[in-house]
Amino acid sequence: MTETVDYVIDIEGMSKYYALGEDKISAVNKVSLKIPGGAFAAVCGPSGSGKSTLLNICGLLDTFDAGQYHLNKTNVGGLNETERTKIRRKEIGFIFQSYNLIPVMDVFDNVAYPLRLLGKDKLQIKAETAKILEKVGLTKFATRIPDQLSGGQRQRVAIARALVKRPTLVIADEPTANLDTKTAETIVALMKELGNQFSVTFLIATHDERMTRHCDKIYNITDGVLA
Amino acid sequence: MSTFLFALKNVLRNRRRSITTVLVAAIGCAALLISGGFALYTYAMLADNAARESGHITIADKRFFAEEEETPMQFGIDNPNDIIAVLEQDNRIEFVLPRLSFSGLLSNGDKSVIFAGTGANISAEIHVRGSFLQIEAGDINPGKDINSIAAITIGKDLARALKAHVGSRLTLLATTADGSMNAMDAVISAIVTTGWDEADRRLVLIDIEYAQRLLATDKVSALSVYLRDDRNVRGMQDDFLTLGSGNLMSKPWSEQAFYYASVKALYNRIFGLLGVIIALLVLFSVVNTLATSVAERTREIGTFRAIGSYPQEIVAQFVHEGMVIGIAGVFIGNVMAWGAAFLLPYLGLEMPPPPGRSIGYPLLISAPVLLYVAIDALIILLCCAAAWVASKKAANMPIMEALRHV
Ligand SMILES: Nc1ncnc2c1ncn2[C@@H]1O[C@H](COP(=O)(O)OP(=O)(O)O)[C@@H](O)[C@H]1O
Ligand SMILES: [Mg+2]
Repeated sequence: MTETVDYVIDIEGMSKYYALGEDKISAVNKVSLKIPGGAFAAVCGPSGSGKSTLLNICGLLDTFDAGQYHLNKTNVGGLNETERTKIRRKEIGFIFQSYNLIPVMDVFDNVAYPLRLLGKDKLQIKAETAKILEKVGLTKFATRIPDQLSGGQRQRVAIARALVKRPTLVIADEPTANLDTKTAETIVALMKELGNQFSVTFLIATHDERMTRHCDKIYNITDGVLA
Repeated sequence: MSTFLFALKNVLRNRRRSITTVLVAAIGCAALLISGGFALYTYAMLADNAARESGHITIADKRFFAEEEETPMQFGIDNPNDIIAVLEQDNRIEFVLPRLSFSGLLSNGDKSVIFAGTGANISAEIHVRGSFLQIEAGDINPGKDINSIAAITIGKDLARALKAHVGSRLTLLATTADGSMNAMDAVISAIVTTGWDEADRRLVLIDIEYAQRLLATDKVSALSVYLRDDRNVRGMQDDFLTLGSGNLMSKPWSEQAFYYASVKALYNRIFGLLGVIIALLVLFSVVNTLATSVAERTREIGTFRAIGSYPQEIVAQFVHEGMVIGIAGVFIGNVMAWGAAFLLPYLGLEMPPPPGRSIGYPLLISAPVLLYVAIDALIILLCCAAAWVASKKAANMPIMEALRHV
């Protein structure tokens, strides 16, 4: 009997090209990548190596030109924008380098937003948002707006927003790049802890040593090619 | 946070810009309300004048409305008093006034001028129509006659043509119903202006009994019916078909008010075009300012898209912001327009005379609820449409492009 592993991300021979004048460059070049559910995985490489391009494709924010991509066993290669939005809405959370919080919404509303998109009822939204805010330690800051928060606090809000809907996959593109070492450490620890608790798969792009130490899978990428 | 509150917060983000946008909507709204209110006031005034002049409904021989008489009073109404008695039973009807139209020459002995005369029950006319003529001199209601000579009121230009004054004695010459000539002495009791140059050159108003005597007839030309409620006009037209010997017909004032109809047609075009221009200005201006907000928030749009909002949900969000701006604009615009409608009567401004008339009319504006509802809905709709136009493209751009936007 062979044991079958459930891969959240299953990529085969994927390429993504950008036109550069006459030439085209491969931002992602024949990449194959299998990430099992619940992993805390990092894509590492220098600036311009293709980390963001790969993560954006994995997060269904961008399309690719060659290869195959199965997300949770669904072939997502041929999906149109509406279908990809539907998957993102339900299954994918995002953590951005510069937090990307909505400035007119307070912490609670920023975090509750994905639940609203899923059409959950008010009480449920309130309960689930309160719960995740407690987990990221921001209960007391629920009514603050992002401008009234520090960088670390903002990234906690972003983590809460990414996890509140219990996605299967969280994409985090250089989540600690804007943070000082101490804050970065706590943010990574928090992500890892919540990832374990919720059995969410994390895919993180980084060239940050502080980050990779916590990762259970590390993929090195250079010039679009995975080592 | 509700969609509406979120929209409000976004609108308040850049206050100076939002205030400008709201003011554009407000001024557009006020301009439409004021010009529309002015047109409606003018229509109502002209309609009122026309209805007062002809009566809400005119009853006459069928041929009276269609053909020219070959001899005076050929199409006149026999036994008008019997018909008036019947009509006055109808409790929708307030008054029925008999009128006799005739023409002839008015002479001062040296010179004769054509006149267009109306024989009427003067005191009843005044009772029904109020002071319907502007008196230059004299008294239009001195009684039927003065010292047994027929009293007449004439237009000011007719008086000038004959060098006549109040108290001057003139001679009326007219063809009688049987085709012979008749003359009658008359004394001027009043000189008036109607506001119409043409009428002021021809007008002679005389008691109907003297008019009948001059034309040697018992008939009247037409009966003017005044209703208690002018909204009944439409429903009553066919009610008079059996009157008399069955050859009578009725026409509502609106079918005879050609001046009213032509002014209305003209103003509808002028104010219609003005309205379209104002609406377009509001649209473009709101699109313009909202497009700036949209551009500034491109990265936010990208974030919403990444998290899973559909483009149409983002557009809907901006449309709500357009609605907030529209509602604020409409609120201010209504206060402005209503303030103008309220204040104008105190300012006593006059409009210059409209074409063909010699007297102006007060500059007032109506403020009917329906106009406000319609214009408010239009402005809010325009602001929503502007938001839709301004945000559609950004909401549909590739997500990565939106997220990279600075
Ligand atoms: N939208 C784009 N248009 C053209 N080239 C791009 C675009 N995005 C990325 N690239 C190129 O693709 C390569 C990989 O970029 P990226 O994925 O952003 O790398 P990283 O995130 O590792 O810094 C780089 O050479 C970059 O210049
Ligand atoms: Mg990058």
